[in-house]
Amino acid sequence: MDENSSARLKRRLTGIVYRIGLFLAMLTICLPGLWIVISSLRPTVEIMAKPPVWIPQEISFDAYVAMFSGIGKGGIPVIEYFRNSLIISVTSTVIAVAIGMAGGYAFARYRFRGKSSVFLGLMLTRTVPGIALSLPLFFLYVRLGIIDTHFGLILAYVALNVPFTIWLIDGFFRQVPKDLAEAAQIDGCTRWQAFWQVEFPLAGPGIASAAIFAFLTCWNEFALASQLTRSVSAKTLPVGLLDYTAEFTIDWRGMCALAVVMIIPALTLTYIVQKHLVGGLTSGAVKG
Amino acid sequence: MKGFKPSAPFLLLLPAGIVLAAVVVVPLLLSLYSSFTPFRLTKPETFYVFIGIRNYLSILSNTDFWWAFGRTVLLLTIALNLEMLLGLGLAMLVEKATRGQRILRTLMMFPMMFSPILVGFQFKFMFNDNIGLVNNALQSLGITRDAIPWLIEGHLAFIAISIAEIWSSTAIFAILILAGLLAMPKEPIEAARVDGCTPWQTFRYVTWPFVMPFAYIAMTIRSLDVARAYDIVKIMTDGGPAGRTELLWTLVARTAYSDGRMGMANAMAYFSILLSIAFTVYFFNKLAAARTQIGAEW
Repeated sequence: MDENSSARLKRRLTGIVYRIGLFLAMLTICLPGLWIVISSLRPTVEIMAKPPVWIPQEISFDAYVAMFSGIGKGGIPVIEYFRNSLIISVTSTVIAVAIGMAGGYAFARYRFRGKSSVFLGLMLTRTVPGIALSLPLFFLYVRLGIIDTHFGLILAYVALNVPFTIWLIDGFFRQVPKDLAEAAQIDGCTRWQAFWQVEFPLAGPGIASAAIFAFLTCWNEFALASQLTRSVSAKTLPVGLLDYTAEFTIDWRGMCALAVVMIIPALTLTYIVQKHLVGGLTSGAVKG
Repeated sequence: MKGFKPSAPFLLLLPAGIVLAAVVVVPLLLSLYSSFTPFRLTKPETFYVFIGIRNYLSILSNTDFWWAFGRTVLLLTIALNLEMLLGLGLAMLVEKATRGQRILRTLMMFPMMFSPILVGFQFKFMFNDNIGLVNNALQSLGITRDAIPWLIEGHLAFIAISIAEIWSSTAIFAILILAGLLAMPKEPIEAARVDGCTPWQTFRYVTWPFVMPFAYIAMTIRSLDVARAYDIVKIMTDGGPAGRTELLWTLVARTAYSDGRMGMANAMAYFSILLSIAFTVYFFNKLAAARTQIGAEW
């Protein structure tokens, strides 16, 4: 065997190993999610079966029907939780993005003293673990009477999202060349007009992704929500998921169905956002 | 206009400052104060009793606390390192792909959209000793006959939690490192090959230095949110069995809300805050250093 063909063989082997590696990696990533979806669609008997049933024998949407038919049928008030989650996430996202745009613009367009320490300071407020923050907030909210309300959670989530939104939006404004706004100003725009008519539309997609990212943070947050809400009037979906485990027998199928309900909006939004997110993160305020 | 300019960034940052002061800084000062009191939820009057650093002293001599602290640091060290390595591997795998790269990238982001509480639930389900996918698969393949008590035995539970943690956060490393790999000019690699570098040398001295800042961005983002492990542990084992998977954060929650010892919990919470800050500042500095090192490129 000459050197040529052994090199070819080696190349082919590397190719195969590479394919297997890629396949295994993707399998590991996708399998847990897929398993949840499958389990939510099969009868509980099949989930519990010993020896295990690998291929679902029958598909049923019973879990979803039960879940949305209210408390009476052994479900949890998913509709209310869903509504709470939606109201809280959307409101706090809108506010956080408004604040984040102002802050991000300041970081992207102005030079000022202590810029990097201000930025680090902002980020440090984000590092406070939710559970540590929940202790004083719990105490304060009880005193102020805003515990277990939408308002209380919205307030907390705005603060949670502002630092990261500033980071992302800063990055997107940086990608818009400075000259454009200056040119607009020379042509007679005020700075305010130049911002809204030139810079904002150009940074628009990026800001939208920052918004989606903020939305997902609220949508997925658990540590604060679990302490600051108690009843159907303000509980969000992640807290609702824990309702299922509070019972003695875990309703696996119901939990899987709720998990699917939680993941679908997140999945859709992340898919939309993915392209811009990376750009914002890598060209953000870390660039000094 | 000239007199106005210096104050513009101040004005623009003011709303952010107000919100963060109201929701984060002031409450934290309050919790700092209450960490010097024996405050209990059941006895509101104890809020005004000042006992100095007695809470902190009793924490320092509390073995449960130090176990939880050590376990938290161990989990973070293992998880962050493995996430970085796996993320790098995954990014390189996907970068090599000639076809369907867009689909692969989307799939790769998949775990990112899972809320930590969902990640915890899904692995609780998969690692269930009786009906879980993992045990079912192992038994069907004949690797083990008896069910492995994943979430019931202390060490195994810790491993299961680490796996859940790594699964959920590898994506962020992979995405950012991939962004770095894709942004990288091809000439230096070709030059290295022409100069006779082995693939390993090319990676070590050409690719890695370029990609490093991206990895540190991922690290920084990740370290902002290390406490998300709380959600995962809370739903998977809730600190059990017998406190074997108790992390700093679950311990804080238990002390505060189950035992009602707010003063003590606040003192513990300060340790957890300092831990998070330490991680963030560390990676922030790394990021700054990496950035100046390659300065010109971006």
